[in-house]
Amino acid sequence: MGGLLSYFSSLFGTKERRILILGLDGAGKTTILYRLQVGEVVTTIPTIGFNVETVQYKNLKFQVWDLGGQTSIRPYWRCYYSNTDAIIYVVDSMDRERIGISKQELMSMLEEEELRRAILVVFANKQDIQGCMSVTEVANSLGLSAIKNRKYQIFKTSAVKGEGLDEAMEWLSTAITQQK
Amino acid sequence: MYTLLSGLYRYYTQKEKYSALILGLDNAGKTTYLEQIKTRFKKDYTGLNLNKITTTVGLNIGDIQIAGVELNFWDLGGQQELQSLWDKYYAESHAVIFVIDSSDRERMEESKQALEKVVSSDALAGVPLLLLANKQDLEGCLTAEEVKEIFSTVSPSVGQRDCLFRGVSALKGTGVDQGIHWLVERVKRLADRRPPAFGND
Repeated sequence: MGGLLSYFSSLFGTKERRILILGLDGAGKTTILYRLQVGEVVTTIPTIGFNVETVQYKNLKFQVWDLGGQTSIRPYWRCYYSNTDAIIYVVDSMDRERIGISKQELMSMLEEEELRRAILVVFANKQDIQGCMSVTEVANSLGLSAIKNRKYQIFKTSAVKGEGLDEAMEWLSTAITQQK
Repeated sequence: MYTLLSGLYRYYTQKEKYSALILGLDNAGKTTYLEQIKTRFKKDYTGLNLNKITTTVGLNIGDIQIAGVELNFWDLGGQQELQSLWDKYYAESHAVIFVIDSSDRERMEESKQALEKVVSSDALAGVPLLLLANKQDLEGCLTAEEVKEIFSTVSPSVGQRDCLFRGVSALKGTGVDQGIHWLVERVKRLADRRPPAFGND
């Protein structure tokens, strides 16, 4: 019966897509989540645990999970991997020192079987700050070119200014609609 | 016994897997071309709305079954700053498809330089090249012949490799099929020099 119901609800396009926002601590994940949801910059504190919100973009409903990024809680990311349609991976473009760690986390995450079909969107965030890494630098440092069997896209974003988020969500919703 | 049987099963069902890179300047029509290929060669594939395709800043992928092999496509973003990512894919590629926007007269030179750089790479020596003068459906664009003439100066770098030049319209789909059939025959013929990978699906 439940299956029947979900079949009908999928006909009307109300199925929620599940998106994870991941990245190191201080990358701007929570700011991005609330930018997407309420369209405003909120003051955030480091997330310990997660924030989850439903975000409506055009006719798509996303259930967006923003997981805390600190070293000690990164191992728990995997508890949330199942049924994920897309991953938004946020990188602090100013943080040259830890981009290597960010790369390792990304690569080990992509090896997970449960995420095999998930679409990847990288946000090179904090592009409003002078002297940050360019999108190419971020792509190279993350070793994105090692990805050969997954659709991905990288966007310049500034969560604080709200730049780049719209085009990224536009791309993501097209990609996600096509995926199913 | 199970191992033997499953091994045999894998042996008979596995397919040779070749990879083709789709390159060219931004807005040349690479992603549209890839979507057109997927729509034409994949059963039950509902493609993107071709008019709604946005700039690629990353990678789009696709794979089709054709002539008994699996052909895999990597469509990379073409913006200037992203071109430095192209060569990371060279070593594993069996063919290059280079897409030219025939309607953009001003960027012909830039496009030519980009191609020159691609074909001069050692990692791609001898790899078949499919050159496409895209957007032939647009009024006032250069004809395939004219584009070919402009790009003739690249031929020393293209060298002895197999090369096919075609006018296409990725949007309308004209000329797409022939190019792909040509490409798959060439990569198969060169299999001993650039062996395929094996895929199991």
